[in-house]
Amino acid sequence: MTTTLELFLLITLLILALSMILSFIRLIQGKTIWDRILMLNLISAKVVLFISVYSVYIKNVVLLDIAISYGIISFLTMTLLSKLIMTWGKEKC
Amino acid sequence: MLIIAYIILILSWSFIIFGMISIFRLKNLYMRILAAATIDSVASLLILIALIFANWHFEYGIRLALLIIFLLITNPIISHVNIRSAYLFGIPIDVKDGDIK
Repeated sequence: MTTTLELFLLITLLILALSMILSFIRLIQGKTIWDRILMLNLISAKVVLFISVYSVYIKNVVLLDIAISYGIISFLTMTLLSKLIMTWGKEKC
Repeated sequence: MLIIAYIILILSWSFIIFGMISIFRLKNLYMRILAAATIDSVASLLILIALIFANWHFEYGIRLALLIIFLLITNPIISHVNIRSAYLFGIPIDVKDGDIK
């Protein structure tokens, strides 16, 4: 017996998973290296949202802490990758 | 309280679908970065606010509010660093020949 709120959360999880798959396709066939950084950023944000919605769906509060720490790691990854490409990667790409 | 959550969730689905259309249709790099990052941050905020209204407890609400503040600070920083890296590399801003081959 699923309530209406669980149905809405399931549809949200489905849309998030579909958009992550489409972003991953775009990451593989990306034109420039900044496109790939952008798609990696989108996938990380969608993963944080996915963990949050799933934590409300199974009523477990510990998963929200994991979502916060995943967001911090995602921010550090994007910033350091962009700075590395800006300083060292002028000949590589 | 649940009706507000349903309405905000339906709004957030439309924002996610428009963001996915924008990264496949737009031709310029800067247009893609601007549209995708902005629409994605709005969808994140809408989904988290809807989760606060859907599960009205203190220990959920304080963590979701912390996550909202964190995303609101770090999402513009990420897109700004990305655009600055692309601009200093030398990709032209002009719309006609802005797309790299």
